Amino acid sequence: MSLYLFQALNGIGLGMIYFLISVGLTIIFGLLNFVNFAHGAYYLLGSYLCFTLVSLTGNFWLALVVAPVAVAMLAWVTEKTLIRRAYHLPHTFHILITLGIALIIQELSIAVWGPIGKTVAVPEALSGVFRMGDFFYPKYRLFVILFTAVIAVGLWLLLERTRFGALVRAGSEDAETVSLLGTHIHKLFALTFALGVGLAGLAGVLAAPIRGVHPFIGPEVLGLAFVVVVIGGMGSFSGALVGGLLVGLVQSMMTTIWPQGASLMIYGAMAVVILLRPYGLFGRA
Amino acid sequence: MNTSKKQASIFSGVTLAALAAVVLMPLLLPSATLATEILIFALAALGCNLLLGYTGLLSFGQAIFFGGGAYVASLTMIHLGFGLLGALFAAMIAGAALAALVGLLAIRRTGIYFVMLTLAFTQMAYFLAYTLSDWTGGDNGLLDVPRPPLTLFGFEISDLTSSYAFYTFVAVMFMLIFVFARRVIHSPFGTTLVAIRENEGRASAVGFSTNHFKLLAFVISGGITGIAGALYAMLLNFAPLSNIELLMSENILIMTIIGGTGSLLGSLLGAGSIVMLGDLLSSVWPRWMIILGIALIAVVLFMPSGLWGGVESLIKRWKERRSGASEKAAKEAEAK
Amino acid sequence: MSDYILETEQLGLRYGAFAALGSVDLKIRRGTIHTVIGPNGAGKTTLFHCLTGERRPSSGKIRFDGKDLTRQPAHKRVSSGMSRSFQITSLFQNLSVRENLRLAAQGRDGLGALAFWYSDTHRSKHLEKADEVLDRIKLTHLANTDAGDLSHGQQRVLEVGMSLCSDPELLLLDEPTSGMGVDDIPVMTKLISELGKDHTVMLIEHNMKLVMSISDRITVMHQGNILIEGEPEEVRGDERVKKAYLGESGS
Repeated sequence: MSLYLFQALNGIGLGMIYFLISVGLTIIFGLLNFVNFAHGAYYLLGSYLCFTLVSLTGNFWLALVVAPVAVAMLAWVTEKTLIRRAYHLPHTFHILITLGIALIIQELSIAVWGPIGKTVAVPEALSGVFRMGDFFYPKYRLFVILFTAVIAVGLWLLLERTRFGALVRAGSEDAETVSLLGTHIHKLFALTFALGVGLAGLAGVLAAPIRGVHPFIGPEVLGLAFVVVVIGGMGSFSGALVGGLLVGLVQSMMTTIWPQGASLMIYGAMAVVILLRPYGLFGRA
Repeated sequence: MNTSKKQASIFSGVTLAALAAVVLMPLLLPSATLATEILIFALAALGCNLLLGYTGLLSFGQAIFFGGGAYVASLTMIHLGFGLLGALFAAMIAGAALAALVGLLAIRRTGIYFVMLTLAFTQMAYFLAYTLSDWTGGDNGLLDVPRPPLTLFGFEISDLTSSYAFYTFVAVMFMLIFVFARRVIHSPFGTTLVAIRENEGRASAVGFSTNHFKLLAFVISGGITGIAGALYAMLLNFAPLSNIELLMSENILIMTIIGGTGSLLGSLLGAGSIVMLGDLLSSVWPRWMIILGIALIAVVLFMPSGLWGGVESLIKRWKERRSGASEKAAKEAEAK
Repeated sequence: MSDYILETEQLGLRYGAFAALGSVDLKIRRGTIHTVIGPNGAGKTTLFHCLTGERRPSSGKIRFDGKDLTRQPAHKRVSSGMSRSFQITSLFQNLSVRENLRLAAQGRDGLGALAFWYSDTHRSKHLEKADEVLDRIKLTHLANTDAGDLSHGQQRVLEVGMSLCSDPELLLLDEPTSGMGVDDIPVMTKLISELGKDHTVMLIEHNMKLVMSISDRITVMHQGNILIEGEPEEVRGDERVKKAYLGESGS
């Protein structure tokens, strides 16, 4: 019993990290109407920055704040210099440009941090396990669940209760309304791209002490995010949340049943969803 | 009448250009192995081009067909004793069948979802190949892949052990498939693919069941890519897991795009330049793929018709200048 | 053979509580030019989309030439003998005018066009059809121009021409003059009235001058249902029609 509870908690933690990645992808898609194929690479960068900051300062909390912000700033610059030039082009071109960015980030990361993976230590305050009766659970993983839950609520408030959020949502539904903003639209696009990518960077930081950092993780992360949005539907906050948790839980439960096939099963689940409900669990035709 | 003649001459001209490249490459390049690798990836790019350049489908699934072809050819040779042509045939069928499977699922969605699905299926195929390590060798790859001799009607034509003999065989395969691809493009099917690329809604309104056409395009692309994967395994005597990785799909796509979508010679040019670049740089600077990323962005932003588009406009300019020069000469002659 | 080429029977389409189409019985007689008009939001376009197969009606039947094709997908209706044009010009922009028409002619082959093993130039019948239509829509001199380089008026004419290539019995034209300049409209008027000699034509149109001059029958729609149907003279004088249109401008 406690094994299943353990795996369920693992699944929720993993699922919340997938949620952070996918919701970033989804926000960007909603407003800017293109899919960021460099999303996995920015996640990778978040993980590596976390590694460097922790090894330099020994302070994970600093990394938790600085690394995602740095990734978001880099994203802001790429939007201004590169991606902006492609808005008028067909969507194939957006994919290819972000694919190019992904390649550059991945190869540069290997050049800086080497081709061999790194590990990041769990912060001292959160090392060890949390005990409740005869049930044990690593403190850090519990922290990830709580922290991402707070972020999710904050993000929801940002999207639902602020002017920025209203603009992003309006833009997702009707690009024309937002174009009335004139020059401000460029600012909004850049901010949204930075926010979405920053969330991927944050996910990278949070995952680093659990899964380590591996230079070729980018494509895997991208593939997982795609599975989440195909299942949950693109452009929806709740779709990313439910899809992320579902994928996390399936993956974590499968590791107890058939460890080698855990990754495989997620894609199998996606294929089944496509067959039965081609527009996703929450999507409409 | 006029147009059909014009098309016939284009047909032979482009094919002759490909033939010239195939004959010259082993003479100009440092090794026949490098030339063979170029032709193999040119085949893969050709398959990708059929989807991207002619049908407008951006597929990240090409590694599935490439890797699948490599595994099936290797396994049928190792376990079932298939000969050269039998293994290639099996790889073609496997590539086509895998493409039909991926196509059937991915075509249910259009636009960006279609692209994401092809990428997710490549990840799935990768994990499948990784998990089935008894068959595929997993991370270590499938070792000791044979390169059987070429026999026709019981006669051994060549043992293909020398790199030049194998190059010749691959070159013949390449030319056969190149001519086949030309035929496909200029068939009713091929012109319909272009219609789908240009405007799928209209194509459907004039009576084409567009999903059937996209599916067949996938199957043909998968078959060609499967053959390329099989030849690659025979070249290396090895079928690595990286054949079926997302990065392989990306490489094939990048070759197709940098070469120029919508032209078959572009695929040869794209594969040639990138395989050569890799060969030159990878030993000096292992991170040479950064250049690939930069080149991809540059081509997309500044040269969307790719290298071949650039070559074409050069040829056009040269022709104009020549006709200008001959007019001038004619005028001068008149003046005398 | 029935007098009517197309009949709908209690055709309806609901989105939740909203009925875009109430219950429409439309009959189109062979060999006529039959126009559907009505104020904005009357359900003309919804009706048109049900006929072309873009939307699936939630109730009722569509019969074409006696056959029920209510649930037939759009692309199959072409080989049944039905062809449509678009309100928003929808061409193969980067292909020549002739290739646009040739592809449209090829569309009638349906899955026959999956043939990838022979050259398309071996079969000249589609090219002949394209040239015939080129002559008919008077764009022969622009045959090798890219469709995207035509003037707006010429694109509208080609848009209608595309629907001719499958030798349809019934032409469905969605606002053929949409976005056309005043100078181009007589060309379109003449083209449609000539097409009416060889085909049955059903069209949606806003330009009343065109409607009144070429239509044999007019159906007026209002709030998802048919208000009246009759010859142009009857419709012109009808009080209910005036009211329906006035209601639109009054609101």
